[in-house]
Amino acid sequence: MTMTETKSEPRPDDGGRAVEGPAGTGPVQSLTGPALWLTTSDHKVVGRLYLAFSLIFLLVGSAAGGVLGAERIDSGLQVMGSDALDQLYTLHGEVTVLLFLVPFFLGLATYLVPLQIGAADIAFPRGSATALWSYVIGGIMLLSAYAADGGLQGGSAIGVDLYLLSLAVLAASTCLALVSILTTAVTLRSPGMTMLRTPLFTWSMVVGGGLSLLATPVLLARLIELFIHHHFGADLGAVDAPGQLNWFWSIPHVYLLVVPAAGVAAEIVPVLTRSRLRRNSFGIAALGALGLLGFGAWAQVDPYADDLLYVVAGLAALIPALGLLGVLGDTVRRGRFSRQAALLMALGAGVHVFLGTLAGAMQVIPGLELDGTVWAAAQVHYTLFGGAVLGAYAALWYWAPKIWGVHLGEKAGTAAFVLTFWGVILLAAPDLVSGLFSGQLLGATRLGDDSLTAVLNTASVVGGGMAALGLLVVVGDLLARAGRKRGTRAIGDPWEGATLEWATSSPPPPGNFTDELPPTTSAWPVADQRARDRAEDSQGQDVDA
Amino acid sequence: MTATGTSSSLLPALPPAPEVGRRNVLLVGTVFLIAAGTTLFGGLLAGYFSAREMVEAGGEVWPPDEVVIPNVPLFVGYLTLLMSSVTAQWSVSAINGRDRRTTYVAIGLTLVLGLAFVNALSFSWAALDIAAESSRFATTMFAVTVTHLLVVIAALVAFVVVGFRALGGQFSPANREPMVCAAAFWHFCAAIGLVIWYCIWFLEGGP
Repeated sequence: MTMTETKSEPRPDDGGRAVEGPAGTGPVQSLTGPALWLTTSDHKVVGRLYLAFSLIFLLVGSAAGGVLGAERIDSGLQVMGSDALDQLYTLHGEVTVLLFLVPFFLGLATYLVPLQIGAADIAFPRGSATALWSYVIGGIMLLSAYAADGGLQGGSAIGVDLYLLSLAVLAASTCLALVSILTTAVTLRSPGMTMLRTPLFTWSMVVGGGLSLLATPVLLARLIELFIHHHFGADLGAVDAPGQLNWFWSIPHVYLLVVPAAGVAAEIVPVLTRSRLRRNSFGIAALGALGLLGFGAWAQVDPYADDLLYVVAGLAALIPALGLLGVLGDTVRRGRFSRQAALLMALGAGVHVFLGTLAGAMQVIPGLELDGTVWAAAQVHYTLFGGAVLGAYAALWYWAPKIWGVHLGEKAGTAAFVLTFWGVILLAAPDLVSGLFSGQLLGATRLGDDSLTAVLNTASVVGGGMAALGLLVVVGDLLARAGRKRGTRAIGDPWEGATLEWATSSPPPPGNFTDELPPTTSAWPVADQRARDRAEDSQGQDVDA
Repeated sequence: MTATGTSSSLLPALPPAPEVGRRNVLLVGTVFLIAAGTTLFGGLLAGYFSAREMVEAGGEVWPPDEVVIPNVPLFVGYLTLLMSSVTAQWSVSAINGRDRRTTYVAIGLTLVLGLAFVNALSFSWAALDIAAESSRFATTMFAVTVTHLLVVIAALVAFVVVGFRALGGQFSPANREPMVCAAAFWHFCAAIGLVIWYCIWFLEGGP
């Protein structure tokens, strides 16, 4: 840049208007709306789009779950045949995990990991953008496949092919996004930020993402084989297709899916209770153990319920879940509890993860014969809906100021927490009772003969309805405040945060950081800098006095 | 920064601190990609052996009697792929030695040998003369080998790209990361090819 040129100061990301790019890159082209979304490789825009699409898909998944629940009540309003219900059952699971849970945390990580480690950009911006659009296309393909009578038990050959292809696209896009996130976390950390000083959410992505990067290709391998098998005319039932795929959304793999939510809770609780974890390494150890126990589910033998490794992994998962709950509880005990929505959600997620692992530990006890009953559904609902989804909501409330520059509503957040926390308990607890005492099988419908089962199923549907209402509150508040920018404007560090994403404006400018980063000498560089500033201020006041 | 004081003014100014560099970003990304690729082929081969076990437990022959594996073209094909790994590494060492002409030759040879492998595998499939739906052996064998072929083609594309960049003079001993990554991915393809040759072709049709 010559002396005669003027250089405008980078401004916070204002959604596509012309702004100065990162040092040396010149002004960014002025684009807004779909033109920006389709052409951008800015990790912040990509991350926001991931979050938006994942919430849209969650609405679809929840609607499918609602219909499934209604079909379990003998109300005389059953509208679907058993084949269609089977399809809906797998659709519900696949949409919730592959179209919401995984991409939500990928989007959050795409947005946050570079900020948390003090990087100007993600390692492979175009790779992340490609992963995003592959995910969207894969999601549309998956829903289209079901609409065309596809799915594992589908009657349309083309529909089933499309279904397998869509899952393969989703698996490949997940791997691509993970490579970009993991490479960022490993290579682009700011000076002083060792791996042990890396923020816990980034750590959770390193653990959960790293192990998913090794597990997802195994799913892809199964899909390739099933596709070739089916495309050339063979019957998928002959190769136990459900058995080859179901491990991805059942225990112990669900513990791997919940690791990022645990990372979110470990980030939020210390900041909002004005406390610190005793040691960052305790959090890292809990996350690592949770991830390791979830890895290797693809190696289960059939019938896996009697496999010793399966039993041991299910029981051992209690240890990191208890450890996580202990770390969070200890932090709250040493800090100041407040009823902020993000804190309630984060703690609620921790409680549900623990309940889920407890249910999982009982599920693997062979004598109880719970495998294949609705107990398994309750376990997955506790872990994924109560743990991971509530963790996702907590992340939205905590990082919304950084992502959209506005605060989400505290009242709406508290309402969403109450509806989701108690809704999931009401959704899952009756299934625990049904699974334990009546052995009700997964996917069974119209169970009106037994009055107790009917009451339990109705309670479960009410719980699911509450959780769905919680989702509507979340989406409604997001649209009202973040979508239309009507929320309270956020400053750079509204929570007095501890990690580097709070050392820049909200939302961050292109290039992420304008000022010099605070030196990283611990896992909490921004909190350290704040303490140093306060010490200097008080010294200055003493001198003045 | 300016030096102040009489004595320090005699000292040369310290050089500015180096900018925070991108530490082998492409190389680390490639390592992650290779790790994912390894479990992908692990999963495919596990599926192959699992299917084999099931079929043999059912009293059937694996591979079916009518399958005659063309050992010679397959052996030559995979040996070619292995040799291309040597030329790929040769291109990296040529960049290290600033020997541009040798770099072009090595990249060109790698591409030719890679294409020869694609040709040999296609020829072998034709010689096998079995349809994918004809047996579990055919299904799983094609799942593994077609996926490997696609990965080799991706590696070929990567080498074409770095080849053009080398022709443009973009690489030097200090700036050779894309070349190293392309070579590393090529070695991965060759290593997986070796495993596939042993697990599928040699075990089933070897002498």
